[in-house]
Amino acid sequence: MNQTVDPSVSPLPTDAVIPRPLDPHELIERSRPAPAGAWLWYVGGSSLLILLIGSWAGSQSPQLQTMMRVLGGLVFLGLAGGMMALSWSVARKRGAEIQNLQTIEELIQLRRTPEAAMWLQRLLSAPMRSIGPRMQALVYLSAVLVRYHRFEDATVVQNYLLDHMAGDSLGVQALRLNRAMCMLQEDRLVDADRAIIELRRMPESEESGGLALLEIYRDVKTGHPAEAIEVFTKKLPLLRRQLGHRLADAWALMAKAYDMVGETARAAAAYTNATLLAPVSEVIGRYPEVGSLSGRYTAAAAPADE
Amino acid sequence: MNMLSTESAISRFRRDLTLGRLLRLALMVGAVVAVGLNLSPSTRIDGTFPLLVIGFVWVILSYRSIKGNRLAAESPSLIAAGQLDAAEQHIELALRSFSLFRSGKMLSLHHLALLRHAQRRWRDSALISRALLQQRFSGPAYITKPSQLLLADALLELGDLPGAYRSLAALSREKLSLGEAMNFLLVQLDYESRLQAWDSMIARGSMYQRLQLIELMPTVNAARAQALMALAAIKIGRQDWAQWLRGRAELLVDAKELIAERPFLSEVWPDAAGANGSAVSLIPSPGIPGEG
Repeated sequence: MNQTVDPSVSPLPTDAVIPRPLDPHELIERSRPAPAGAWLWYVGGSSLLILLIGSWAGSQSPQLQTMMRVLGGLVFLGLAGGMMALSWSVARKRGAEIQNLQTIEELIQLRRTPEAAMWLQRLLSAPMRSIGPRMQALVYLSAVLVRYHRFEDATVVQNYLLDHMAGDSLGVQALRLNRAMCMLQEDRLVDADRAIIELRRMPESEESGGLALLEIYRDVKTGHPAEAIEVFTKKLPLLRRQLGHRLADAWALMAKAYDMVGETARAAAAYTNATLLAPVSEVIGRYPEVGSLSGRYTAAAAPADE
Repeated sequence: MNMLSTESAISRFRRDLTLGRLLRLALMVGAVVAVGLNLSPSTRIDGTFPLLVIGFVWVILSYRSIKGNRLAAESPSLIAAGQLDAAEQHIELALRSFSLFRSGKMLSLHHLALLRHAQRRWRDSALISRALLQQRFSGPAYITKPSQLLLADALLELGDLPGAYRSLAALSREKLSLGEAMNFLLVQLDYESRLQAWDSMIARGSMYQRLQLIELMPTVNAARAQALMALAAIKIGRQDWAQWLRGRAELLVDAKELIAERPFLSEVWPDAAGANGSAVSLIPSPGIPGEG
């Protein structure tokens, strides 16, 4: 089709000029907390200077002494008032930041991902007030990027967080698990395998349901269904205790594993269990490999709410 | 371990709150007087030094209070990890330390109520939560709402249905966070099941909304909530819902564990009192999915 272009109209935006939403590099940079303003030191120093001059002047004449005492009182009042106003303002802004984080967490939990993404874009586009909430916001950013299947971007955020978080806390372990899961989703199987070996070395790794799920997924993904079934068999009590309704993930992967070894009756039962705990679309969204089972096995449908 | 008794913890908490309030008042009055002395040309006393001393005392006490708060902040994660003895030690230290600010003291006492709840010491948990909620000036919402939830749950366990109702009614007027809404739903279902209000447990048009919340709960809570709803579905003759909810519950937790907690749930699993106590019909034994 032949179209004429009006030169007075500005060109249509292209990918090069549209800011990419949830760009991890950009949001990591922009959200860095701003250094504390130097004005606080100026105010404190000036007040101290006034008091010192006042004290010196007061020692020179009794008239000045009275005046300087009044001035000193006013300076103290101003300082106290200023500090109170500053503390109140800082506390209010911190409170708002934490409230925003709580909202984002709830939106992610409720699977309202686009809204969570908008909140994160807004929150991380400006310097955040403190380090802790910023790290938490970045954890949420990686979760949202995973929901959008932007595994490479999610890994960028996870790497940044792991570089800046110390120790073997539960948060660090969860991040490493999520990073390994992203590697598997991206088919970076060697990296994922190495990450799983590292995770196994962490304390209490035997008691990690998340790690068991990761190993099951790796085995399914790499065509080792028998190993996946073995891990599942051994770790089912742990998975049940720790995963809640995300146990659906393990059952879905089991369905796939049993299907791969040709045990269709067990695959069908596992598929029913998976879809009893979570909607089919959700399970397939997380594990595209399970999509091939849809239609071949019966999903457990929820009764009508009427 | 020789831990503070509930009564002494509450009386210490009240005493510390009063002491903190008096100290804050004394420091503020002292500061106002010192500034007043400086502003008044007729007096010959210089208030600068007393003002500096007051400021110094305030900073030191604030620092000690913050240290106590940090100590208290570790307790919930210890309770969640099941390290109850370690949590008890933390809470005791936090309760015994001085705090200039009432929110720190309230948080420590709330953690003690949480710990007693985890230890299934319902009476103690209820007493502590009630003491927190009876404060003349209500505390911050992040303490009062969870305290109200704890109180409702503890009273249910103690069989005090009117008391539980009052707590639930107070909470229903509040705006709850997602976590609080999940806990509220679980306590509400428990309460309604004891009242045998089966219809409201399976309210038409709100099932999916409730299930969305339940799916976010930790395993045991999700299983119990769905088992309670399955019982309600049986009672009102909704077999489709009963079967579906029962299947979900037993995939998460063994039926005998649920029945041990709430014996009336045996109606959902009539065969659970069998020889081996297992009623997990839909959960295949490990390694043989699909059987049963």
